[in-house]
Amino acid sequence: MKHKMLMTAAWLLSLLMVSTAAWAGSKKKAEKDTHQFRYEITCAGNAVQGTYLVRVYSYSKKAQVAEDQCRKNAVHGVIFKGYGGGEGCVAQRPLCNTPGAETAHEEYFRSFFADGGEFQKYASIIAGTTEVTKVGKEYRVGVTVSVRKDDLRKALEAAGVVRSLNAGF
Amino acid sequence: MKKLYFAAICCLMCSLMANAQIKKPELMVFPSDEWCIRNGYFTEVDNMGTTTRIPNYKQALQEDMGLRLAIAKINDLMAERQFPLQSLEQAIKNLEQQRAEDNLTVSKQGNELAESPLDELARVAKADIILDLSWEMKDMGPKHSISYILEAKDAYTGKSIGAVSGTGAPSMTADVDVLLEEAIVANIDNFNYRLQEHFTEMQTIGREIVLDIKVFAGNERGIDLESEFGDDELTDVILRWMRQNTVSGRFSMPYASENVMNFTQVRIPVYDDYGVAIDAYAFARSLSKMLRKEPYKIPSKVLVKGLGRAVIILGEK
Repeated sequence: MKHKMLMTAAWLLSLLMVSTAAWAGSKKKAEKDTHQFRYEITCAGNAVQGTYLVRVYSYSKKAQVAEDQCRKNAVHGVIFKGYGGGEGCVAQRPLCNTPGAETAHEEYFRSFFADGGEFQKYASIIAGTTEVTKVGKEYRVGVTVSVRKDDLRKALEAAGVVRSLNAGF
Repeated sequence: MKKLYFAAICCLMCSLMANAQIKKPELMVFPSDEWCIRNGYFTEVDNMGTTTRIPNYKQALQEDMGLRLAIAKINDLMAERQFPLQSLEQAIKNLEQQRAEDNLTVSKQGNELAESPLDELARVAKADIILDLSWEMKDMGPKHSISYILEAKDAYTGKSIGAVSGTGAPSMTADVDVLLEEAIVANIDNFNYRLQEHFTEMQTIGREIVLDIKVFAGNERGIDLESEFGDDELTDVILRWMRQNTVSGRFSMPYASENVMNFTQVRIPVYDDYGVAIDAYAFARSLSKMLRKEPYKIPSKVLVKGLGRAVIILGEK
């Protein structure tokens, strides 16, 4: 009896380890996707003062993971990519225009974009805007995100990543 | 004691260096001439037989709510970037107030304030960088859209620093104020990006100024720009000084004669040798001081027009 219980416990433990490893693996993959800039960012309309409204498409084998990464990608896109205009939308430049800034401030951005990192303060997903499509072996998830770009810029200025408009005066 | 003086001077210099800040340009939003004339905010003046239309900013500010709203919105957005603008409306009010006060100011002996025609002419609302704004509503069936231009110009060199323009998304609302506000909010970041590029360039390769050198006709010493000092004419002396004192010798001289030298695209350092911020006036004063010394001993008058334009008139004070 005792032997049977031990076997069951060992079996459950190994199941838990396998599922945790699988979850961590997909999470790691999604993180990798983010770090490889595997996302698209477009304008999603005119936003209220102090914010940008963007549509972000992220890729992952797990639809839920891709959706979770969209918020991070939206902030990353506003800082480093900017987005194009059209259909009444105004194209916006990235907040950080200095080439190589991401590498130069690697430590700061690693902590900023870590899970549960500071990036969360500057982005919120607009409810009911999720769109999931299967592309080959992975999912392409589109979400509309509101990015608080004025607050984000102030944080980057305070961290010395971008120059403020009155710097030097 | 000498050591004490030396230490005090060092402390003073360090403090100057630490607090050295480039002189901050003043920005002001003006409605463009085209907008003022299209909307009837102008005054016609007879300029030697030619009728000229001059924008009437005071009337425009008093009668056009859209203009006031646009200026307030731009100011709000710029203040958010820690770069508040000068108010055109307040500048006009201050000028009127100052004029009224000056007219009433007399000494105990009954003397009025001295004011030359140039002083009177200089009394206009002015800024170092002019933000020129114009917009127009366009109707497409039941929908309306707004076309807008916001351009920053250097008030002294006349160069365009940057502009944003475009047509907003068509909307069913006919409210020009709402459409104008949307256009400004959507474009201000791109506009500020241009401004920032300009400021960064200024801090890297120097402030760009315009310098004119003129000569008082019939001055006592009979000096003009072709007066000779050794092997050099005065023009050569000034050119040599300019090459030595501009950033990388950057300047252009589009016109020179025995009476006038015009320098444009003059890049002056933002700080002097002591780390103190300098502008066109300080730069012109340095040249004026050099010319006053041996062997030239030329007196001169220096006139200043803001941070970026100065005039030196040689021969007399």
